Amino acid sequence: MKHTSIFFLYVAQYMKTRLTYRVDMLMEIMSDLLFQAVNLIFILVVFGHTNMLSGWSKDEIIFIYGFFLVPFAIFGAFFNIWDFNERYIVKGEMDRILTRPVHSLFQIILERMELESLFGVLTGIAVMIYAGSRLDLGLSWYDPIVFLFMVLGGAFVYAGIFILLASISFWSDSRTSIMPMMYNIGNYGRYPVDIYNKVIRFVLTWILPFAFVGVYPSAYFLGREEWYGYAFLTPVMGAVFFGFAIFMWNIGVTKYRGAGN
Amino acid sequence: MEKVIDVQSLRKDFKSHSSRSGLKGAFRDLFTRNYKVISAVKDISFTVNEGEMVGYIGENGAGKSTSIKMLTGILTPTSGTVRVNGMDPHKEREKFVRSIGVVFGQRSQLWWDIAVQESFRLLKKVYNVPDDVYNEHMNHVIESLDIGPLLDKPVRKLSLGQRMRCELAAALLHNPKLLFLDEPTIGLDVLVKLKIRNFLKEINEKYKTTILLTTHDLTDIEALCDRVVMLDEGQIIYDGKLAKLRSNWGEGKQIEFQFGEQVSGEQLQPLLKELEAEWTKGDRDNVWIANVINEEHVISEVIGRVVAANRITDIKIHEISTEEIIRNIYEEGMLNG
Repeated sequence: MKHTSIFFLYVAQYMKTRLTYRVDMLMEIMSDLLFQAVNLIFILVVFGHTNMLSGWSKDEIIFIYGFFLVPFAIFGAFFNIWDFNERYIVKGEMDRILTRPVHSLFQIILERMELESLFGVLTGIAVMIYAGSRLDLGLSWYDPIVFLFMVLGGAFVYAGIFILLASISFWSDSRTSIMPMMYNIGNYGRYPVDIYNKVIRFVLTWILPFAFVGVYPSAYFLGREEWYGYAFLTPVMGAVFFGFAIFMWNIGVTKYRGAGN
Repeated sequence: MEKVIDVQSLRKDFKSHSSRSGLKGAFRDLFTRNYKVISAVKDISFTVNEGEMVGYIGENGAGKSTSIKMLTGILTPTSGTVRVNGMDPHKEREKFVRSIGVVFGQRSQLWWDIAVQESFRLLKKVYNVPDDVYNEHMNHVIESLDIGPLLDKPVRKLSLGQRMRCELAAALLHNPKLLFLDEPTIGLDVLVKLKIRNFLKEINEKYKTTILLTTHDLTDIEALCDRVVMLDEGQIIYDGKLAKLRSNWGEGKQIEFQFGEQVSGEQLQPLLKELEAEWTKGDRDNVWIANVINEEHVISEVIGRVVAANRITDIKIHEISTEEIIRNIYEEGMLNG
């Protein structure tokens, strides 16, 4: 209750500041859209040469991409803490966070949120509707609820991985290039895992489970029954990874060394 | 009286790896690292009672900020116990920080882009302060610090002095029993300093707020604190009354004479015969300083003799400043005041 009201107060404050820089906000949404368009064009180009990719059609892959955009947008809006090391550890802003009576990660999420990213939810749904209609996908009454769980599961998988990476900074504050690399690996989850070799498939499922952000949950909506087991694991993976990440974060906070040592 | 801070043999070690030299060393570092343990705080113990204003001083790297960070729950101690407001700062962090206020002079608690009152509103929510309590308490704070006209300005448009007063108000928003101030007057002009000092005295009297003050500006400490805790190399080297520190170390006065003509040390030396006093040369021409013990007859005798024998254009009597006393203590590295 308390957290929700803090959350909404921060959101209100965020909107207020952002609205004073309207051009900035517009630019950000435009660049997001452009980025998504480029990815879409890439898929179209690949399918200019072939009709099927390991048994997946063009429209199915476009659908997966559309689905992927939704949890990714939520991740981008709230958990995109790639600059945690520099901003909070090196500059010592973590000191300030730790003198306030709210969980440290929650405060950082509130401070670093970028609500413009949520626009991606709309693009994602639009892409899914387009691909879905070409595939003649049916929609049952419970599908929106399943969708919600799948999206949250996917977003939490993403969030979990990035929080884990941010937690590393508590132990070692040297700069690493893991974060950009992780964005790249994250993109692999947008394509069917069976196009990859076994090792990569294993990694994308159990180690850096980005496949749960794209392919697996989408398989449910595409009616690919052979993948249902993985699909329904999505919310579980989300909960497990997110839970583990917070656990590691909490340990990390006790190892925090402060700035300037 | 109630103990607000109770620290027993508190210690903080930092492990830092020392890299070997050369390319070969760098390769070896990849596999096994040499760790060096540096103790920033070495088994310190002290207690602070409710309503005390304590000056916490030490040179850079003496362990001041590390120990303050352990007291505020930011860092986990390596060993020893800390009880602040009856709680373990690190273990019960979220509950604990409600009972303290923190001002880090170098670091802002306020949001840079938004108006001061919006920052206050967010903090009010974060600390969950009820409206009526907030209004009554904060109206008073805002008035005493004279920040009413600043409330609708964004923090980035405030001057340092204005910002600092707002920071102080923000730290007191939830009316904490204990206030940590780290360099609160750094870079401020005299008037703002005075305002802040008066305000701190006032809340100390009104709410019995305990204040732990770190500063390099010893005039702050002289104006506010009865007691000082002095750190050096991670250990407490003095803990007691400021007045006692002064009387033990600051015995004596300096009488500065500006002579109207050229004088030499040999000429002046006989004047202090059989008195507990000695000459040092001043930093300007024809200025000599007599260092004497703090006793009436000695002081008047010295002045009398010098004035009778020479032409004098100016006389000043100085007490040895706290700063000098502290510098002496650090230079001599004495362990007990």
